[in-house]
Amino acid sequence: MSAQLWVSVVQIGCFFGLVALGYYLVLEGADFFNFALGPFAMFSGLTASWLMAEQGWPLGVAAVLGIAIAAVLAVVTEIAIVRPVDARSSGGELPSLIAVVAVLFAVEQLAGTLFGRQLMPGRSWLPGVSLDLGFVTVDGQTIALVVCTLVSFTAVWVWTRKSKYGRILRAVGSNREAARTLGMPVGRVRLVAFALAGLVVGLAGQLFSAKAGVSFQSGFGWALSGFLALVIGGTGSVWAPLAGGLLLALAQTFVPYYLGSASLDYAVLAVAILFFALRPNGLFVRKVRV
Amino acid sequence: MSAVSVQKGAAGSFGWVRSAETARVLGTLVLTLGVIAWAGGDLFRQDLALLGATYALLALGMYLPFNLAGALSLAYSAYVAIGGYAVGLVATKTGWPLPVAYLLGAIASAVLAVALGFATRRLSGFYLAAVTLLFGMAFQSFLLDAKDLTGGALGIGSIRPLTFFGTELDRRTFIALTLLVVWITAVAVDRIRRSPFGVALQSSRDVPAAVEAAGIGVPALRLTVLGAGAAIASVGGGLFTTANQTIGPDTFTLHLVMLAIFMPLLGGQGSAWGAVLGAVLVVELTFNLQIFERSGSLIFGVAVLAVLLIAPRGILGYAGQGARLLRGLLTRTGGTR
Repeated sequence: MSAQLWVSVVQIGCFFGLVALGYYLVLEGADFFNFALGPFAMFSGLTASWLMAEQGWPLGVAAVLGIAIAAVLAVVTEIAIVRPVDARSSGGELPSLIAVVAVLFAVEQLAGTLFGRQLMPGRSWLPGVSLDLGFVTVDGQTIALVVCTLVSFTAVWVWTRKSKYGRILRAVGSNREAARTLGMPVGRVRLVAFALAGLVVGLAGQLFSAKAGVSFQSGFGWALSGFLALVIGGTGSVWAPLAGGLLLALAQTFVPYYLGSASLDYAVLAVAILFFALRPNGLFVRKVRV
Repeated sequence: MSAVSVQKGAAGSFGWVRSAETARVLGTLVLTLGVIAWAGGDLFRQDLALLGATYALLALGMYLPFNLAGALSLAYSAYVAIGGYAVGLVATKTGWPLPVAYLLGAIASAVLAVALGFATRRLSGFYLAAVTLLFGMAFQSFLLDAKDLTGGALGIGSIRPLTFFGTELDRRTFIALTLLVVWITAVAVDRIRRSPFGVALQSSRDVPAAVEAAGIGVPALRLTVLGAGAAIASVGGGLFTTANQTIGPDTFTLHLVMLAIFMPLLGGQGSAWGAVLGAVLVVELTFNLQIFERSGSLIFGVAVLAVLLIAPRGILGYAGQGARLLRGLLTRTGGTR
């Protein structure tokens, strides 16, 4: 059992955690699973990779542009598609689910048409850096990913506690009708939640594409992994998605190592069904003091 | 209005000849025969027709649980694959006639769909979609992994053709038969939609409590249509495999299920024929157009979004509205004359 595998667990876990954080924000703000977040992350990573490889842009500008595009995509999705469909179906879940799958498909195909349908390599943010901890070596990209993950989670945590919109987000998340009755700007908070989620997954896509590369079809798998991470962690706390992501990464790394590669998909399915049967709210449940 | 009712009365016992249902059934039969004639001996057109028929059967299979009962299960790639592998296994490991394989595949996928539906009976919406999608992924790994049964990544090849009283059916005849199967299934599914069972099904999507109160068990209703839909999809996989004489783990992927969700949406969810029309459009956009222009799938994705936003009842829904409008205008002028 190599210690280097643990570095990989942390790396994948941070990535899944970030995508799950995006889900968490949208779920709190809009009571909605935005499966298109995976393709948004892909679009961010692929845009930057394409700009650097084909157009010779510097890393910083390409990365910022990629993240911004992910946020713009998220906002456009909310304004142009989810909101009208939601308003028409008056609370039914299925039409908005179909809408978001359609967005997922369209974003995937748009990326494939714009940037080509082959796998593109990402570029490390800290190429020259590596940290020797004695038993393992941690490369610069992993350090960047871990630091960015911690910063993102802390920022969202502080935001939901201290800022006006963050507190409204929590209020909307715990009871939308009550929040609306109290005159809170539910629609605007929804939009902020979508935009923040876009920023977070855009950053995640940037950081992760340097590890495994990115192609127009990567987003689908990322969306599923983020969803699972959130199911495992639950929505009890801002940090729950990170815990879920790390646990999922642990399972994804060690189950194939011990049981063979096909067992991974069985294990993932079993975990999902078990969680829905036994702990439908995830590991971290919000406790209400009476 | 009174003129119309008198006309209906005058038709008497031959009223069925003039009914909209007869027109629909005969009209679609003519369209189906037209497609058969169009495909003819051209190999490429035969491929398109076969793909369209398979997509249509998959979309019809999903139409019952998803569009009518509101349960979005994404495990359908597995059911189509089961139909295909049933044909492969029966053809290569037994001497049984191939139609037995269609039956076995349908039964196996119906049983699996009911079992999965039972395991996920408490889930709905996003959660149901995600868990069934994971099932589809696990099934795909199973196809790769169980090499003794499924042949692993290579799949099963050299499947013998269908024979009919000792004579081999050529590809052209077989594809014509497949298209007729699609027609029969679509007529049947559309009749189910308008039967009391179908009404209960659609009510269970919108107001489950009322259906329960009427003495119909909603969970049992859902499991029934999940099983029936899986059987229809599995027949589609079986027919496709018979015509192509080979099946592998890449033949029916998760991507296909994503396309299948959009087919009834594009064609129109108000009728089972919307699913068929959607399947034809998908084949045209993602397969036929893709060869000349690589952006066929993008056009398809944008079309789905546009239909979703502008025309939620799909193409048939709008065509029906237009026809009603036209008929209204005609009867009004008839009345004043």
